[in-house]
Amino acid sequence: MLVPPLFDEMNRMRKLLADVMRELDSLGVGSFLPDLPGTNESLAEPEHITLVDWQKALQVCAQQHKISHIASFRGGALALPEIPSAHYWIFSPVKGATLLRMMMRTKVAADREAGLTTTIGDLSTRAASGPLELAGNMIGPDLFTQLEVAQIPEWEKQRTVRLDSDQKPADARIPGSPLWLRAEPDDDPAMSVAIARDIAVWITA
Amino acid sequence: MQNEVTLTPEAAVRAVMQDILGLSAEQVADFTSETELFGALPELDSMAVAGLLTELEDRLDIMIEDDEVDGELFETFGNLVAFAEMKVTE
Repeated sequence: MLVPPLFDEMNRMRKLLADVMRELDSLGVGSFLPDLPGTNESLAEPEHITLVDWQKALQVCAQQHKISHIASFRGGALALPEIPSAHYWIFSPVKGATLLRMMMRTKVAADREAGLTTTIGDLSTRAASGPLELAGNMIGPDLFTQLEVAQIPEWEKQRTVRLDSDQKPADARIPGSPLWLRAEPDDDPAMSVAIARDIAVWITA
Repeated sequence: MQNEVTLTPEAAVRAVMQDILGLSAEQVADFTSETELFGALPELDSMAVAGLLTELEDRLDIMIEDDEVDGELFETFGNLVAFAEMKVTE
């Protein structure tokens, strides 16, 4: 099971994830990519979604399909449920606070271009009392509060993979570019292949 | 786990510019303190600035407040590096 990145990072990594799944298939590894509640084709109302909803949904999904290996990308690591028997593969994980800050800055910049003066402080205050729209995502107060403190998980059976250019601790590094930071969605075929190969080796280990 | 490597502020600024703006390593390596940024690099719009600041915070373990960011900061590469160097010693 692949757990996608959160919010706008998912849009910028959609092609990469599809390429990873195709490459996994060619390596004989079946995979699937569920939509988190409140995202994509999910009918759940985004402003009522919490981190716990995502964790529960992924847990049910894993049980239903008897999944032992879960690979997550970026903020997807924050949505992972704790399943004692599961093995986790985590790509370039990010703290919830970093994701929020990035989206709030983008909102501040967009408002400024529209002639409005907004600050990150204003947005945090507004997020506490009602749903806040950030980079096209409706984020409810509960999700906002949970993301503010959400840390990168550290499980026993966990493999953390980062990009070569990333200095943070990791079990393995792969060459590539941080597509989730780009203004325009892009792909990186070599990186997709490197990711799929690492996952395939990890699953069969 | 491989240990964390300490990154100099200047190296971090170069790496973040390359990652966010999608510039080549050669292009970024040619940046000097006089290199003009805002207005000279079409890729550097206000959305890219938001990403740049957040990534710098993350990689250098610093916090940048709204009121510390002004037009001057993104005038030249040197200004941005000097700001990053100042923040890591705070």
